Amino acid sequence: MVLMTTTATTTTPVVGFDQVSKTYGDVRAVDGLTLALHPGETVALLGPNGAGKSTALDLLLGLRQADSGTVRVFGSSPREAIVAGRVGAMLQSGGLMDEVTVAELVRLACDLHPKAYPLTEVLARADIAQIADRKVNKLSGGQAQRVRFALATAGDSDLIVLDEPTTGMDVSARQSFWATMREQADQGRTVLFATHYLEEADAIADRVLVLHRGRLLADGTAAEIKAKAGARKVAFDLDGEIDEAPIRELPFLTSVDISGQTIRIQSTDADATVHALYGLGVYPRNLEVAGLGLEQAFVAITAAEEAKSK
Amino acid sequence: MNSLIKLELTRALRNRKFLFFSVIYPSTLFLLIAGSAGATDKIDGTGLTVATYMMVSMASFGALTAVLMGNSERIAKERESGWVRQLRLTPLPGRGYVIAKTASAAVVSLPSIVIVFLVAATVKDVRLDAWQWLALTGAIWAGSLVFAALGVAIGYLATGDAVRPITMITYFGLSLLGGLWMPATTFPQWLQDIAKWLPTHAYAALGQAIEQSQSPSSKDVALLVVYFALFAGGAAWLYRKDTLKA
Repeated sequence: MVLMTTTATTTTPVVGFDQVSKTYGDVRAVDGLTLALHPGETVALLGPNGAGKSTALDLLLGLRQADSGTVRVFGSSPREAIVAGRVGAMLQSGGLMDEVTVAELVRLACDLHPKAYPLTEVLARADIAQIADRKVNKLSGGQAQRVRFALATAGDSDLIVLDEPTTGMDVSARQSFWATMREQADQGRTVLFATHYLEEADAIADRVLVLHRGRLLADGTAAEIKAKAGARKVAFDLDGEIDEAPIRELPFLTSVDISGQTIRIQSTDADATVHALYGLGVYPRNLEVAGLGLEQAFVAITAAEEAKSK
Repeated sequence: MNSLIKLELTRALRNRKFLFFSVIYPSTLFLLIAGSAGATDKIDGTGLTVATYMMVSMASFGALTAVLMGNSERIAKERESGWVRQLRLTPLPGRGYVIAKTASAAVVSLPSIVIVFLVAATVKDVRLDAWQWLALTGAIWAGSLVFAALGVAIGYLATGDAVRPITMITYFGLSLLGGLWMPATTFPQWLQDIAKWLPTHAYAALGQAIEQSQSPSSKDVALLVVYFALFAGGAAWLYRKDTLKA
């Protein structure tokens, strides 16, 4: 258990969760979550569906109340932070008012924000100036996402929270979205985003939080998460009849996949596994040893957790 | 909050169907019902001509349409779409959303009242004193708040799919049984006994009392106050429940 140490000398965390739990019926959506985000960080929140990402973001934004524990944003309640204009957020489930134009809706967001930017600037940043006169209910999925982004960045907020922001965008839209987002982070803002595109977490976040069953499973840089998964991939071909049993008993294995003549292994100590492989007296061809991508690391971490809980 | 009221109003004024049903429809219905009646035909027991009596009924009906329809369906749909959640991420106070909806509906209900009056005065020669016109407008406009609160309550109670039938049944039931379409005195006795306890009946009775140069019966005023407290309290409770659920 990690306890947050807040003394007068340390800076107030942007977001502080202290032993936060939230239960729906029998399901513990968020289970004793403790974490702190610091100014200027770009943080990815990763987790499989049902891991508690959306609930955690709802708690952070004051849309739901925790059953126990405390959630602080800039040292005050989430609602106070929002009223002060310090938080801009874009929800996956954030509906838009229909039958009004994009410009009218974004102007509303500007009017409501205490530290608003000029409308034209907000429209340009979200790349929606060319659709400003279009009715909101006539937008494509990707365009609607950009309008939501404009609502989240209508003013000079210190924290930007994004729930799966690039859902519905094509590849180029996604790239330009993250370029804009990086500018936001470079201006010293704290950015927290939930995503299931692991390459996004890998490329953009300087810190990755892995959430599983409402608990924090890993917290570190993308590289550290990959290291924590520990595993490396080993792949090779074998000729002739393959005797599976000894291969499955190789040391340090976390997974084995045998299809045809090709064997793919994940190992927490690839050197030892390969050494033992030669010890079996087989002759592996096309041997490859590679590190895991974040995606496989993620799968490995959550799978290990599943195994532990069984 | 003003910017949201402005935007809600812009949207309401753009919605032709909504404008038709709340502004044009009541005066059209007035002409249909009162059109064939002679200038001296009276409604039994009221001393009012058919045109005078139906003018208040239809003005009340128009205001009811604007505030009930305007609130309930939008709120239910926008709760479902997530727009209500999105608004909660802005500094707008929680009640601001409901206030903006009600305010924009009230802006639409005013012309729907006035147009019925204009049609009645020009086409059916309804004549009243100046204070009566003003009092009628004020009473019907203010009384519509009762149904605005009901609309909000339905909006927070119903799901997006169920909201239209629920609103329609409430709307037609209250209009018909409350005697807005035909005088409740034409109902069988047992139905009259029910009708006189409905908020729409008390609502129209306010206006008829003004036309008769009488002060509204304290029973009708009390009924409206109780219904308003009930609907507004219910709406507030449902709103809070919805907010906790996110």
